[in-house]
Parts: sequence; structure tokens; C-alpha cells
Amino acid sequence: MEQSTPAMYGPPDTAPKQKSRLARGTRKYFWGLLFLLPAIAIFILFLWVPIVKGFVYSFYHIDFVKGDNFVGFDNYKSVFGDSDVLIAVKNTLYYMLLCLVIGFWVPILFAIAISELRRFQGFVRVAAYLPNVLPFVVLYGLWRWFYDSVGPINGLITKMGLDPIAFMTNKSWSMISIVFMETWQSFGSAMLIYLAAVLSIPRDWYEAAEIDGAGVWNRIRYITLPSISKLVGLLLILQIIATTQGYQSQLAMLDGGPNKATLTYSLYIVKNAFTRLDYGVASALGVLMFLVLGGIGVLQYRLQRKGEN
Amino acid sequence: MKPLDRGIMSPHDFKRRPNQIGYGIMILVIIAMVASMLYPILSTLFNGMKANVEVNSFPPHFLPQDGWHFENYKKAWNFIELPLFFRNTMFIFLGNMVVTIGVLGLAAFSLSKLNVPRKKMVQFFFMMTLFIPPTTYIIPNFLNLKDLGLLNTFAAFWLPAGANAFFLLLLKNFFDDLHFEMFEAARIDGASEWRTYTQIAVPLSIPIFSTLAIFVFSTAWNDWFWPSLVMHNNQRYPLATAIYKYVIEAQRMDVNIRFAILTFVMLPPIAIFLVFQKYIMRGLHLGGVKG
Repeated sequence: MEQSTPAMYGPPDTAPKQKSRLARGTRKYFWGLLFLLPAIAIFILFLWVPIVKGFVYSFYHIDFVKGDNFVGFDNYKSVFGDSDVLIAVKNTLYYMLLCLVIGFWVPILFAIAISELRRFQGFVRVAAYLPNVLPFVVLYGLWRWFYDSVGPINGLITKMGLDPIAFMTNKSWSMISIVFMETWQSFGSAMLIYLAAVLSIPRDWYEAAEIDGAGVWNRIRYITLPSISKLVGLLLILQIIATTQGYQSQLAMLDGGPNKATLTYSLYIVKNAFTRLDYGVASALGVLMFLVLGGIGVLQYRLQRKGEN
Repeated sequence: MKPLDRGIMSPHDFKRRPNQIGYGIMILVIIAMVASMLYPILSTLFNGMKANVEVNSFPPHFLPQDGWHFENYKKAWNFIELPLFFRNTMFIFLGNMVVTIGVLGLAAFSLSKLNVPRKKMVQFFFMMTLFIPPTTYIIPNFLNLKDLGLLNTFAAFWLPAGANAFFLLLLKNFFDDLHFEMFEAARIDGASEWRTYTQIAVPLSIPIFSTLAIFVFSTAWNDWFWPSLVMHNNQRYPLATAIYKYVIEAQRMDVNIRFAILTFVMLPPIAIFLVFQKYIMRGLHLGGVKG
């Protein structure tokens, strides 16, 4: 394998024959290994050790003062006996669903629409992407005011003669409000990725379709959408992976409330650790999440390979 | 052949009435989208210039109607020690950047251009970490930093900055495109691998380093939750964490001053974005394919 890549180079094997294999290997690989060493050390120390330690900690009761002690499966037992875990799982699934229903199609729609703009396309792109560069703390401060009972959205609603909505404190609105805020902030980046794909579709395909009598809708339906379908699939998987782990907005905006309505699974992990200081149970929750997501990943990979065969 | 002057719709389509109506609706939707993107950002700016009574009035107006209160910015500047927290953020950013270029740059160069035994396995060792969701090990990560005695130090940000498989992948892909003859020539002239890296590879890599700098900067500027766990001394909070703790979570605080502070935090990234648009859009495409 190594000989076949032309980009490879290094000291040639000119070492005298009598030198041992080890010495030749050292000479050949010296710089390559030396340059890798710091990265390997840091990856072990700050990624692999924590990943492995998560499993170990899940069997311990962690106490910063008295020291850790082994408790067997107690942490897992308390996880399965905890009704809040079920709420957290349900909330996470609901959050993922809302992100798909409210957020996933928006960037696709706007990418196709903006690709058809003949003027001001650059300006519209920048405007759509601008919320992405807002720091999260500004996003939270701004939208807390926006969703306020005396904020601008309720101002508009009462002007239209409707009853004001408690976006944050009403249980059935709180998660929707969070997803809407996140979509507002982040749809621009996905939109730009789709836009690049839409713009790279050869124009003469549309020309040919038009000559054959296809209307605008049919051209979008049979040319544009199939051309970006692989990208749609990829971003769908990435979004699902990302939304299983969402917790920061829920924490910053509502602290998991009102009445646990925005308590996602990841937020529950964080709260177990840093509010209840129960690091063992939090580690066990993390391990369970790891197993479920890993299992889904393997399953998906298997299904994909079956589909290809 | 002349490029066709058309998109999905051709000039001919624009002559038909239903298409004109559809296109008009589409333009209106895009205008509404642009307005809803810009309105909240501009209202942050204008709320910072209103009198406090006016920000709290209902229904709110967009522009200040009872005088422009620029003195809010002075009050906002003195509300918390912004320069201190700003310095901490820049401290984290610069250290992370040094580690990224030093550790990950060297490793990427090695994987791309040098002899490494069992290269496939070494790459697997690095890239495998991309597939493990970070939230699943956030707790052991914290405990690990505690065991190493790194809590409440800046090293708790700098060192783990070198454990980023995604940046390693970007750097390696970049080095893969550099011609190996250049390095071969330097080696024949007697340069050590260290010299070929620092004097040939690094100067050629300014584009990828700038892209990484934008990523690293936006993380350092944005991240508020993790630093709030790692740093328990409030003199060491980065800007985002300080703003969250003292401004967003503040119970009794004038709303106009709050928005004036948010304006301070929001303007630098917006300015950087508008100036370096091209590089950022390119970085986005690199980032779009991360797995």
C-alpha cells in the first residue's frame, strides 16, 4: 500500500545491509513517528482516555472528597428506575421530530428559490447566513426578549386581534419556540451548501426538459430534486446525529422547564453531573447513549450495505 | 458554446402569466425571509440605543422614538470588565491556534508526506473519534481534566484543542494536494524533515490555516457552557461565559444596557464575517462534508 502512493517520500533504504532490521526501520520511520507523537499523545490523553473512562466511572460512585468507590450496577439500576429518563428520551425524540418538521425542508426550499434570483443573490445569501455568526449568548438574550409576553412577536399577534402566546412558559409551546429559534439561526449554512449543489446542475438539462414540454414544477420535481437527493440524505443523517445531542439552547433558555418540557436526554446527563453532582449516574447515562447511538450507527451501516448489494 | 442565460426558468417562461405570479410570490417570500433575518439583529442594535422605559413599552417599536441614547454604551462598557473577559477569550483563541498548527499540522504532514508504519491503523486511530458523539463522554472528559489537575487553567482549553480529528482531516487533505517533488528537492539539498515542514509546508499552508483560524475563533468566541464548567474562577471566564452569567442570567438589569452589551459581543464576529466572507463560505463547504 505504502509503495503505491506517489506522494510518499522519505529517506530511501540505503542503509548498509549488515545493520539490523530494527535500525533500518528506525531510520526510515524516525521523522514520521516523531511528528505524529504529540498528536497521538494528545488524542489518547484527551479523547480516548475519557471515552474509556466513561465506562469505568459508570460503575463507581464519584466523590471528590472521600474518593470513588465501586458500586457495581447501582448507577444503571437507578437510571432504569428513574421516571425522568423516560421523559428525557421522549423529549429528545420530540425535539428531533420538530427539527425535521420545522427546520429540515426550509434550507432546501430557499436554496432552490434563491438560485432563481437574477439580481441581489449575493446580498440575500449574506443576509440568510448572518444569524449563523451571532454568538449563542446574543441569540439567547435576543430571543428571550422576542418571546417575552410583551415582546415584538406578541406585539404583532395582539395587533392582529389574537390572544398573546406564552412562548416560553406554556408547556406545549416551549420546545417549538426553541426549535424555531435554532432554525432561524442555523438554516443559512445548510442553505448555502444546497445552493452550491443546485447551482452546479448543468443548465442545458433544464433547456432539454423545457423543449420536451416540462413545466417549471416538473423541472424542479424531476431534475433539481433528484440531483441534490444524495446531499439531502447526507445532511439528514448529520442533522439527526446532531439533534440527538441537543441541550445547550434548552439549558440556556429554559433550564429544561417549564415542568421538564424541554428536558432532553443530553441535558439530563449534564444536570445529573453538574447540578446533582452525581457523576456516576451521569456517566452511566452517557454510556447508554453511546450504546444506543452506536447500535443505530452499525444497523444503518449494515442496512446501507445490504441495499447496495 | 455560450453559457445559457437561464436557471430552472428560461426567459420564455417569464412571459407566461402563471409563472410570473409564482415568481412574484417567491420574491415576496425571499423578502420576508431576509427581513426576518435582519430585523432581530437590527433590533438588538437599536434597543441598545433606546431609553429603558422605551424598550419596556408595549408594543415595542423598531427605531428609538424618544431620542438616541448613545450614553448606554458607556454604561454597558463599565457594567462588567469587558476588556478582561475579552483578553481571556483571545488568550484561549491564540493558544488553541498554536496547538492546532503545531500538533495537528505536524501529524497531518507526517500522515500525508512521510513514512509511517501501519499508516491505515494510525489513521483509523485518529478518525474513529469522529464517529463518537461528544455528548456521550462530556462527563468523563470533565473528570479527566480534573484528574489531570487542569481545571481552572487555560491549558484545559489549549491541550485538548490538539485532539480534533476533523481539523486533522482538513489539514491532511490540504497537504495531500501539495506536490511531493518540492519536499524531495529540499531533502536532496540536505534539509531535515523539520526544516521542510517549517520552511516549505507551513508557508504554503496559509490558506488552510486561515480557514482553521476562523473555525477556532468562532468556537472560542461562542462557547459559553464548557468554559463555565472548566473555569471556576470568574477572573478567567471567556467573554461568552461572562456575558451568560452576568448579563443573560442577571435578574435586575436595565434591558437597554443588556442590549448595548449584546451589541458589543455581536459586532466583532459580524465585522469579521463581512470582511472575510469568501474564506468563510469556503470553510463552510469544507465543513459541510464532515461526518
